[in-house]
Amino acid sequence: MIDCRQAVSRMWAYLSRDPGASDADLEQHLGTCLRCCGELEFTRELRSRLAGAEVQTMPFEARARMQRILHQVPPPEMR
Amino acid sequence: MNATSTADHATATRHHERDDFGELVEPHLDALYGYCVSLSDNRHDAEDLLQEALIRGMSGLSTLREPGKLRSWLFTIVTNTWRDRLRARGRRVSTTSLDASSEDDFSLFETLAVDDPFPYSDELHLDFLRLFRSADVRSVFRELTPVHRMPLILTAVHGFSCKEAASILDVPLGTILSRLHRGRKQLERGLWDFAVRNRLVEVPEDD
Repeated sequence: MIDCRQAVSRMWAYLSRDPGASDADLEQHLGTCLRCCGELEFTRELRSRLAGAEVQTMPFEARARMQRILHQVPPPEMR
Repeated sequence: MNATSTADHATATRHHERDDFGELVEPHLDALYGYCVSLSDNRHDAEDLLQEALIRGMSGLSTLREPGKLRSWLFTIVTNTWRDRLRARGRRVSTTSLDASSEDDFSLFETLAVDDPFPYSDELHLDFLRLFRSADVRSVFRELTPVHRMPLILTAVHGFSCKEAASILDVPLGTILSRLHRGRKQLERGLWDFAVRNRLVEVPEDD
């Protein structure tokens, strides 16, 4: 069975595993280790905090510029 | 078909492909823009990066073999464009962190439990994360080595699996797994150092 150090080193990846993929030895460890269950929960919260902080809203001007590129519309001053 | 109508047909096809590309990409613009901001030094660079990537994508739409993988294909184009732009500026993607020796041993989870900065809290670890404004998290995150930052962004922010992130970054799966862990450790160390430096937590003085 894996130890706590190995379990922690795989937690971020575990939360990003492919659908259907299993991680039997990590799950077996989690089934017996309360400390690592707490660490897994903390990993989840850390990811969520990071995701919330990194979400960006595209400025209106930038969106208009990208849409012009996507549809090849010349900018207003060239029309 | 004469020469003029052949040219007209080619132009019409190009317009059609462009419109198709636009329709396909528009739902992903915000996520792609966010990824560009994460990779760039400032918003102006991020917009230029996205613009260049979109132009590349438009001319390379025929290389998209599996339409179901459009999103990861677009992120791959942004990543490659970003790498090429760095190369053109004579910069390369650094693969070593500033303090690689100590970060693997650091555990924020453990540090919080031992130093106990919130003695009366039932949610010690959550309370610690609540101390940070989004701008604080971003500034700590920006200090991470880019090769460690990118897999974290792709998985946590954009919801890609490890395999997808490996494919987007064009590195073996094992490399991604190790970078995810190292990146996470850098992030933990950065958050703790930020909290101590800015007196968000009070820690006992060393004897």
